[in-house]
Amino acid sequence: MLAGINRVGDIEWEVPIGYVPDMRVPGRFFLSRALVETLEEGAVRQLANVATLPGIVKNSLAMPDIHWGYGFPIGGVAAFDMTEGVISPGGVGFDINCGVRLITTPLTEADLAGKKRELIERLFSAVPTGVGAKSTMRVSNKELAGVMVDGARWVVDRGLGTGADLVRCEGEGAMPGADPEAVSAKARQRGVPQLGTLGAGNHFLEVQVAREIVDPEAAKAFGVAEGQVCFMVHCGSRGLGHQVATDHLRTLEGALAKYGIHLPDRQLACAPIDSPEGRAYYGGMVCAANYAWANRQVIMHEVKSVFAQLFGIDYDEMRLIYDVAHNVAKFERHDIDGTSMEVCVHRKGATRAFGPGAPGVPGEYAAVGQPVIIPGSMGTSSYLLHGTVTAMQKTFGSTCHGAGRVLSRSKAKKEVRGKELREHLAGEGILVRAHSDSALAEEAPEAYKPSREVVRVVHEAGLSNIVVRLEPLGVIKG
Amino acid sequence: MSFEELEHTADVLMRVRGATVNEIFADAGRAMFHVMYGPCKDRGIERQVSLEADDLESLLIDYLSELLFITEVENTVFCTFDVDVRGTRLSAALRGEPFDPARHSGGTIVKGISYFGLEIVKEEEDYVVEIIFDI
Repeated sequence: MLAGINRVGDIEWEVPIGYVPDMRVPGRFFLSRALVETLEEGAVRQLANVATLPGIVKNSLAMPDIHWGYGFPIGGVAAFDMTEGVISPGGVGFDINCGVRLITTPLTEADLAGKKRELIERLFSAVPTGVGAKSTMRVSNKELAGVMVDGARWVVDRGLGTGADLVRCEGEGAMPGADPEAVSAKARQRGVPQLGTLGAGNHFLEVQVAREIVDPEAAKAFGVAEGQVCFMVHCGSRGLGHQVATDHLRTLEGALAKYGIHLPDRQLACAPIDSPEGRAYYGGMVCAANYAWANRQVIMHEVKSVFAQLFGIDYDEMRLIYDVAHNVAKFERHDIDGTSMEVCVHRKGATRAFGPGAPGVPGEYAAVGQPVIIPGSMGTSSYLLHGTVTAMQKTFGSTCHGAGRVLSRSKAKKEVRGKELREHLAGEGILVRAHSDSALAEEAPEAYKPSREVVRVVHEAGLSNIVVRLEPLGVIKG
Repeated sequence: MSFEELEHTADVLMRVRGATVNEIFADAGRAMFHVMYGPCKDRGIERQVSLEADDLESLLIDYLSELLFITEVENTVFCTFDVDVRGTRLSAALRGEPFDPARHSGGTIVKGISYFGLEIVKEEEDYVVEIIFDI
């Protein structure tokens, strides 16, 4: 237990004003006693640093997957007043709109028997992954502008998906306010050859089975049944997003003096939301976010095509449940101390978790709340949850985004051999395909907090409720 | 090697040490390419980079970000870095080889260079900097 932190509930903790100088609001995070042991002082300091930013509303927040990042902690959430507040790339991260989508198939585990290895190999060929991966899809510079404005719709309009897919994406797969002028030539150059590529690191494509239905009513609304084979796509905006973040971070860092903003960490560089620099970052970030939705749409199409061909099922029998962003800043309306207020919510390694009836939740899910998708670490369970009224009240409608690391990548590589891990997982019926064994070792399950514990905390805190637990059957590692 | 990887749970934290500023810029580049690709050989590809920034730390971030851009769009992997820093201006001569998936897939993508904790300091005779690579 770290000094200077107060326990304010069973699984709720406060970082009081004064933990670092110039905090404007207290920090607050959600963590079980077991997980508190894994909490790094650096992560708490970063949470407190966010509380020093101008115009922050209510609390600087962190979800149970909180860990040490740069700028905001990973798992960090903060909302800013639209007039007094700021927007910061450090609250979004370099991988703008890194996110997850989950798709059901009409298959059961038994249908995969004897074909699983072939499925994984075909998926590995169909979806470009890893360092240096380039897309087989040709997109012109002019078309790229369309991708940045229309997001997933641009892809669907080209026949790679259906209108129903769009309804089942956060923000219908495109945020408004895209400003292609705020995307540099360098960012575009990186974006052109990468649409439909997975990337590397913790990104993955996973074939899963819905192993346990925890909330039958919600599962029915989301269209998932026990034993159903699903697949999950986890990736972001690729080089285009990385370049947008790099370019604007630089501009905003240079403009701090102009706005008289003093920061404890240069990575928190920011500008007033309604300033030329703030507007430019927002417009560029939206372009990257839309590119990411398009990227996941292309990948989903490729995966569906492989399933359809290999198992003789219909393309339309595979249904997107939902697509969520977990690295993004959005203008949203929230109830703040009894007053409805528009704020700029930053979620860095945190997922939107809007409750039943909240605006933006698709009509078919309105009674249940927004689907929330939490990927597990490799070889462990992933979860489908739903958003709640409590999340709307406590966390600006936000919840965790994943398991959260506890072991550095170098330590993981020392402790785990990729080849042994691959063989061990194969023994458990989980086939893993990656370009290198060392990439596997870095993402070994023991490098992460147990996903079940992180999800249990958000469930108990009421920030989102578990609907389905999914187990991996095969993994394509980025 | 004059760079070493330190413990960092989420990303890659590298400590780079050198007798001169030129050396730490060169080794910071080497460290980043080590993270991304693993081993690399000089096969005759040459590239020049010139940059200017407001301060030395920003110059280092700009330089590494420029290398990220070049490696991705030109499909090249660099292994030697001859860097000349004068004040807050830099010119660098890079040498390396074309990206080859068979030999360069042992690493991971670096998404960006963080300003967090990045400060070039003098420790006794050496310059030292710690850099977080977001991966």
